[in-house]
Amino acid sequence: MLRKWMEKDKRMSAREAVERFVGDGDSMVIANCLYSTPYALLHEVMRQRRRDLTVFQQGGIDELDQLILGKCVSKLIIAYNFRIAGERIETVLERALRRGEVEIEDYSNYTLLAMLQAGAMGYPFLPVMSGIRESDVCRVERFCAGQKFGEVECPFTGEKVMVVGGRNPDVAVLHVQRADMSGNAQLWGALINTKWACLASDRVIVSCEQIVEEDVVRSSPHLTIVPSFRVCAVVEEPWGAHPSELLGFYDYDMVYRSLLFMQTMSEEGGQAFMDEWVYGVENRQEYLQHYADRFGLKYLNELKARSYLSVPADYGASWRRAWDDDDVSFNFQMTRDEFLQALEEKGGFVDG
Amino acid sequence: MVRYTEAEIIVANAAREIEDGDIVVIGQGIPMAAGVLAKATHAPNCVILTEAGMVDIDPFRNLLHIADPTCTRGYAYSCDMVDVFTTIVNRGLVDVTFLGVGQIDRYGNMNSTVFGDYDDFRMRMMGAGGAPEFFGYARKAVLTMRGGKFVEKVDYVSSPGYLEGYDARDKAGFPPGSGPKVVYGTKGVFHFEAESKEIYLNGLFPGHSIEEVRAEVPWELKVADDLQELPPPTQEEVDLIREFAPEISAGRKLQVELSIPRILNILSERQA
Repeated sequence: MLRKWMEKDKRMSAREAVERFVGDGDSMVIANCLYSTPYALLHEVMRQRRRDLTVFQQGGIDELDQLILGKCVSKLIIAYNFRIAGERIETVLERALRRGEVEIEDYSNYTLLAMLQAGAMGYPFLPVMSGIRESDVCRVERFCAGQKFGEVECPFTGEKVMVVGGRNPDVAVLHVQRADMSGNAQLWGALINTKWACLASDRVIVSCEQIVEEDVVRSSPHLTIVPSFRVCAVVEEPWGAHPSELLGFYDYDMVYRSLLFMQTMSEEGGQAFMDEWVYGVENRQEYLQHYADRFGLKYLNELKARSYLSVPADYGASWRRAWDDDDVSFNFQMTRDEFLQALEEKGGFVDG
Repeated sequence: MVRYTEAEIIVANAAREIEDGDIVVIGQGIPMAAGVLAKATHAPNCVILTEAGMVDIDPFRNLLHIADPTCTRGYAYSCDMVDVFTTIVNRGLVDVTFLGVGQIDRYGNMNSTVFGDYDDFRMRMMGAGGAPEFFGYARKAVLTMRGGKFVEKVDYVSSPGYLEGYDARDKAGFPPGSGPKVVYGTKGVFHFEAESKEIYLNGLFPGHSIEEVRAEVPWELKVADDLQELPPPTQEEVDLIREFAPEISAGRKLQVELSIPRILNILSERQA
């Protein structure tokens, strides 16, 4: 049975959230792909030296390199991972694969997400676009062998349809603009894989730029990407997606990313990066302080978003209740006393 | 006379693949520059979207990645990746899609996953990403190839093209008429024969020869009888590309060369 998370106040630190809800050997999905990467939470996973994770990686830039440098990952279900380096430079992922530290299973963007969609919907499998049958994405299987793709016959047309099985990761981590303390998490911008990754998972850890009053959420429910009863922890973490971008807050940090890229070109450089930016700080506040000490706040401030407010959706209505201020029913045009009288005479009361 | 870079002539010609009113799926880099150029010139009503669910974007600078919403002042429809692949791609609404090439064979089968043996690889590329489905289900797939290679047999089929050629793709059940249509290399453009589906050289960029192209292809490359000389970009096109994405104009190598001093400056400035 899928657990409901009903606590009213789930606020906690990133450290506590990872301590309680990410375990060694878990399967974990990074529930923002490319956009708003949940670095604050991922760095905490690395700091707490989680091991043997199976990671669902829809598409990433440099977060996977860091998780691998942190020796957190043993299996990787992947569709896309950014690469700048040419053939002569061995990437972090290549090094880990060659050493046998990480096993890999390749999917396409859609087929990977369809597994999570099926999992989120509680279906055993879902059809995917059958052309994948002709690709090595389908033919080459490793640790998912036998479970990677299947073929069924459509009961209505007889057509052969390719399917993927539903998957339910143990935990999803994501970063959003705002959430209330019970965990209703609101995200806007590139929605990509977030909804399906969260709803497929047993536990959802949300970090956010701001924890807001419940009424903020209630007046903008179209922005809620995952509802409170699916969320086990809420972490307020300003700049929690740095160096990636988040609409309304900040742009990506190209200078920092270039630095990271240059450092991870060598194994020693990669470890130096981890020592400095992950292990060398206690939490996200210290990370930001270190950034300010190292580069100056000027560079962080240059990334700040200018405002482009969404025109508010008016969630108002007449808000007319069954009984008006004079205790008259709008539908019956009678007072409450007259209504109770009618109920007495014709309502078919049962004595109990 | 217009002076232009290798990337700029590819962008300008690739932009002409887009017609006004097309629905176009694009990623970052040269393809996005082509899309933006088309929208700014002959195709103002094309709808540009990325698989991240940002539909009808109007980018004022190049995207860092396909889910980068900081490149546009809003967009018309915010959906997710499942919506894009099911309700747009699978329904056949994509007119043009652009994809980068790692390796390609004579029938347009494409590899963007791994060079060499899958386990004992020479290099891992970015992965299949959205390519297999876009390649499979868009009306017209346009490939751009800088640093990519023609090979007899791709090491890994990330995105099936015409398989073994002729009617193999239709027999495999892909939508009729789908499949790769055009490949832009650094020296010219390639199309696929109507019947055999074999790739052939259809046009050359100014200053390049058939022999140069043939030297990059490990089989006897077919050449169109009426081989075109592709037009250089106009001054307006070059200006638009440099306005939107100077880093695309520069190319990756120069881009890195030009940006490293700034990064080193920032580092040394702070450590001093």
